[in-house]
Amino acid sequence: MNADILQGFLQASLPVNLMATAIGALLGITVGMIPGMTISSGIIIVLPLTFVLDPGMSIALLLGLYVSGMTGGSFSATLLNIPGTPSASATAIDGYPLAQKGEAGRALGISISASFIGGMFSFFCLYFIAPLLADVALEFRTQDLFSLIFFGLTIICSFAAKSLIKGLLSAVIGLLIVTIGQDPVMGTARFTFGDANILSGIHFLTALIGLFAIPQLVGSLRETGRRTAGADQIFGSILPKLADLKQIIRPVSIGSSIGAFLGILPGVGGPIAAFISYDYAKKSSKKPEDFGKGSVEGVAAPEAANNAVTGGALIPMMTLGIPGDPVTAILIGALLVHGLAPGPLLFLERADFAYGVIFSFFWANIFNLIISFSGLRLLIKVLAAPKALMMPAIALFCVVGSYALRNSFFDVYVMFFFGLIGLTMKWLNIPVVPMLLALVLGKQLEEHLRVALTSSKGDISIFFTSPISAIFLALSIFSIVWSFTSERRKKIAST
Amino acid sequence: MRIRNIIAGLTLTALGLIYGFLTTGLPVRSLPNTPGPSFFPWIITALLLVLSVSLLVQGLRMEETEPSNGKKRPIPQALFLCLFIVYLAALPFFGFLFTSIPFFAALIVMYGERRKAWVASFAIGVPVFLLLLFRDGFSIPLPRGSLGFLLG
Repeated sequence: MNADILQGFLQASLPVNLMATAIGALLGITVGMIPGMTISSGIIIVLPLTFVLDPGMSIALLLGLYVSGMTGGSFSATLLNIPGTPSASATAIDGYPLAQKGEAGRALGISISASFIGGMFSFFCLYFIAPLLADVALEFRTQDLFSLIFFGLTIICSFAAKSLIKGLLSAVIGLLIVTIGQDPVMGTARFTFGDANILSGIHFLTALIGLFAIPQLVGSLRETGRRTAGADQIFGSILPKLADLKQIIRPVSIGSSIGAFLGILPGVGGPIAAFISYDYAKKSSKKPEDFGKGSVEGVAAPEAANNAVTGGALIPMMTLGIPGDPVTAILIGALLVHGLAPGPLLFLERADFAYGVIFSFFWANIFNLIISFSGLRLLIKVLAAPKALMMPAIALFCVVGSYALRNSFFDVYVMFFFGLIGLTMKWLNIPVVPMLLALVLGKQLEEHLRVALTSSKGDISIFFTSPISAIFLALSIFSIVWSFTSERRKKIAST
Repeated sequence: MRIRNIIAGLTLTALGLIYGFLTTGLPVRSLPNTPGPSFFPWIITALLLVLSVSLLVQGLRMEETEPSNGKKRPIPQALFLCLFIVYLAALPFFGFLFTSIPFFAALIVMYGERRKAWVASFAIGVPVFLLLLFRDGFSIPLPRGSLGFLLG
């Protein structure tokens, strides 16, 4: 075994890191299953901790939360027909009818097992693909990196938004915000209005806390007093029977493959992967008529898919520094706070740490399985927990988290300002995810663009003569054209 | 949705124009054939204007499909935001603890909890716990404000 792999495994298996993973998993299941709270909310709660913890522990904690949050979402989807996370929406279609038949335990057991298999499948994808992709990415020159980031931005605009124009606008606003502060090549102050606080720019973690948490806090005001009946129902044995496990082999295989593949693409995320997997599982099933009425295959496919997305999303994050969703964006932020930049160089310079992250993901899946099976009966009591106490706590964590980043009130005000931007964008139906990706990648995009143009003495053909760059630009154009034409087709069909 | 698209289009067009105006004040280039600090902002200005005008045109062309909902009550949301603004304004002067306790209590009530004992215990307990956790556990001192001396 490679020394770095062994070192990474030992690092991830340190008792403190295992404890962090387990705590993350416990917290992930809890926030995942509470309707109205998302994995991002959970991350915001633990974010201040990651500033003071060792990077290995921080990542272990966040990965535990990420992986288990996906599974936790299916618990409320099954028991209450209210998906705890958007990724669990497809699970509710068959999970809830199963629970209504008095087989909630069976549905939850299938859901946990499928989540585990999906997660482990994506772990192997991450383990084998990430180092290879990092090796390839090391060959990328500055023009290739520009085109790659550009591709990441365009594809997220195509997937994350119902309207391509709104998706692109969201990304452009993010890029605009990134230009505030010192420019990345010459260090010239831009749009700072002489304020020293703005000179270092807007920290994207501060922006992210505001963008996600404030709209959620405001939105939850409408949902006070929601009934959580069903949390205390009797649901029999949780451990799946052999016959059920045999039955879910095909849907789990479909869900795992689709989830891991779609997870690699920025912006696609768990909900899309879950619904596509559900659809394929239904089409390939011997009993498609059972879907929607409490089919175990209908529970297994989306659950395998949304957990497989987690490992898939870590591949571009680890190897290219491109986050696939808000959670991986926070993971990048947590690493950057500790001076570790995800990307191909991470595998070259800190391969032990990179493998440590991969093995922490492995442990996150193991703890997710153990905690879910062993603590399920106790954990679902959380479903009855009053939102009146949790939401104010999140509000305080938003303030503390943004303040603790740089011990600055300025960041707290920036967080709130971005909360207002998030609310406005929600009202205008403009997605925030492309903006988030632009906030993470904007500086690199500008830097690579300007360095490439400087090296070519202003000749833009440098982006088309390099085969890698040309491929990514062609893919970007394809994703925009595809998104535009499919939007038009939908419009024509609806009229 | 039509009205919202028009509002978004107009607002973002205005933002693009202001951003473009501010970009004119940036240095153009320092070396020959080298893109200067204003190069990228100009690209953003162009993209922002093109996209926001497209959204505006799209909004003007589309028919209103969203039925007006007269039942929406934005008062709690506005109250929440006002409360947050007051809290953030008071934070540097009165510190984390003394501002967070009433803020937390007000939020608990807003989210529907009416039992006085619960409101009081959580409103005091959670901020105190956070203060101690960050100060003693993570060595991150939360803002003390001008009343910080009371905490010792």
